[in-house]
Amino acid sequence: MSIILLLSRALQMSTPLILGSTAEVYSEKTGVMNIAIEGIFLLGAWGGFVGAYKSGSIAFGFITALLGGALIGVLYGFITIKLKQHQIVTGVALNILLASLTVFMYRVIFGVQLTPLRIQPLERISIPILANIPFFGEILFNQNIMTYIVLLMVPIAYWILFRTRVGLIIRSTGANPEAVDAAGINVEKVRYTTIIITSSITAVAGSFYTLGFLGMFTSDIIGGRGWIAFAICFLGNWHPIGALLGALAFGLADGLSVFFQTSSLNLIPNEFIIALPYILTIIATVVRKKFNVPEYLGTPYIKEEV
Amino acid sequence: MSHLKNRSNSVKDLFLDKFNNKLVLILSSVFSIFMGLTVSGLLMLFLNQNPVEAYKLIIEFAFIDSYNIANIFAKSTPLILTALAFGFAFKAKLFNIGAQGQFYIGVLAAVFVSLKLGWMPPFFVLSLSLAASFAAAGIWASFIGYFKAYFNANEFLVSMMSTYVAVAIMDYLLRGPLQESKGEYPQTDLIPNTAKIPTFINGTQFHYGFFAAVGAALIIYYILWHTRLGFHIRAVGQNRNAAEFSGINEKKIFIIVFLICGGLAGIAGFMQVNGINHMAVQGFEADIGAAGIGVAILGNANPIGIVFAALLFSTLEVGGLMLTQTSSLPSSIIGIMQGSVVIFVVISYFINNKFNILKRKRKLINNGEEI
Repeated sequence: MSIILLLSRALQMSTPLILGSTAEVYSEKTGVMNIAIEGIFLLGAWGGFVGAYKSGSIAFGFITALLGGALIGVLYGFITIKLKQHQIVTGVALNILLASLTVFMYRVIFGVQLTPLRIQPLERISIPILANIPFFGEILFNQNIMTYIVLLMVPIAYWILFRTRVGLIIRSTGANPEAVDAAGINVEKVRYTTIIITSSITAVAGSFYTLGFLGMFTSDIIGGRGWIAFAICFLGNWHPIGALLGALAFGLADGLSVFFQTSSLNLIPNEFIIALPYILTIIATVVRKKFNVPEYLGTPYIKEEV
Repeated sequence: MSHLKNRSNSVKDLFLDKFNNKLVLILSSVFSIFMGLTVSGLLMLFLNQNPVEAYKLIIEFAFIDSYNIANIFAKSTPLILTALAFGFAFKAKLFNIGAQGQFYIGVLAAVFVSLKLGWMPPFFVLSLSLAASFAAAGIWASFIGYFKAYFNANEFLVSMMSTYVAVAIMDYLLRGPLQESKGEYPQTDLIPNTAKIPTFINGTQFHYGFFAAVGAALIIYYILWHTRLGFHIRAVGQNRNAAEFSGINEKKIFIIVFLICGGLAGIAGFMQVNGINHMAVQGFEADIGAAGIGVAILGNANPIGIVFAALLFSTLEVGGLMLTQTSSLPSSIIGIMQGSVVIFVVISYFINNKFNILKRKRKLINNGEEI
């Protein structure tokens, strides 16, 4: 495997992580950790596959994934924001449920299948002229449509969060909900809206694994990548650009482990390469002193009665 | 007088009088179980299964013969321990999501000791294997507490990431140093007979480890409510600032709590290696950690509640498995039953909170009137 192939694959594998971790940044900025992220990734992968297989259109697959994510966003928001229950406990419970529910509904819809059903995943689109740039062209401009959109989305996500009124409200809701409330803005409404939108986007990120990469659904298709997106949000210091860099690092590690598996080099055990991003995450969490953690992350807002 | 007036007031007051927190907790748990099973039952309709029939069969199958009944106890053994690994930390408002990894570290320690020291008399092998699994996983997890205490690292994140590292270590060892002598599959050799936990009922998987797991739950209960350490742990869980103010060393608590939690999950590994599988296999029991969290939530993180919750989950598992073998229902329905029960438990916490607040409010009002 050449270095170009390695980096190209790294960018491909980071695509859903960039999208998922940016969505997590947004919801955590309002004070709500989306712990259901692993389950939503899985639901997105499932929903995307079902929609695309049944309709024959990948675009429709993205829509079904989006709707599935929105549904979980409504449920998660209802329990954590309206009922003010613990976010970690609620999220973990939803993950347990979704892990089985997706497999069950796959069976309901498709019956018993001896070999997994397949769809044609998104094809790589080589952008004329740009793709001819030596080295970088091959890596950056020969990806599928989702990678392009996600990369374009990063500066937009940054701009919305730090340069618009909506972004200001989102950031203030996690940093100082009382001030937001005093300004006449409904804190719970901001959180609820954000969690529904970000859950939908997270599901689309998850659908990348079926629609943009593998073309089929298996129960272990996500295998902890939702948690990685969650960790990237921390590592990226609750910042869209940080999330981009973190996701690229994880994508690179993913690419490297394939690289070492296929190469004859046997210097390092492959398991070490696989574990490396997790070890680095732990080290980064430990050594990092200054975090921009939203002040009220994880705490439900209880309006004082007058 | 005021007391009487209050009482005649409404059904709500009567309800508050007659019911105490524990009773409400138990009632709401039963309600959650009912609701969770109802929702799962509705899903069964998709596959043209009569849910009432299905549940009847699950109960029937679960208790059909001594083998299945014994299996319920066998399956609940590691579940009790991984649930305690989550629940004990939860009492200090710490989140140990890494029980799966701690379980694997325990598995590795237990299988290593059993293979190397199998020539010793059974009592020594088993004790050493148990101690090694507790110590190895305990030390492994205590780093999470240490990072939390001295570097303010988020324990939720670190414990979650540590699982993936443990999985990688296990994969490496089962492919290399600990691999079976045939060298074919990523698994170890069978442990010698001396290292097997004796079975409680012959010909079944029900081994004495179950009583050890229940013993562990009782010890945790005792620690939490009858020792200084337990008092400190609960104090840290209730109000960290107040605890520190009253001179409790919260750093020490973080490390000790994670040490014990890791150790408990590690013992679960010992139970599976020495009691059930008699070897370590790559990626086995891959959801024992997540299931443990579910059990802990259903048991309200109470050690005694956890034992009953684990028995319920195992009953669903044993009866459900036989149901899926004899009907068109896939085994994922078991996970759905467990998952939706847990969701309703979380929702019912809301009712419990409301009840406690109402009760406290009324107490305040009554006291006020008496003055």
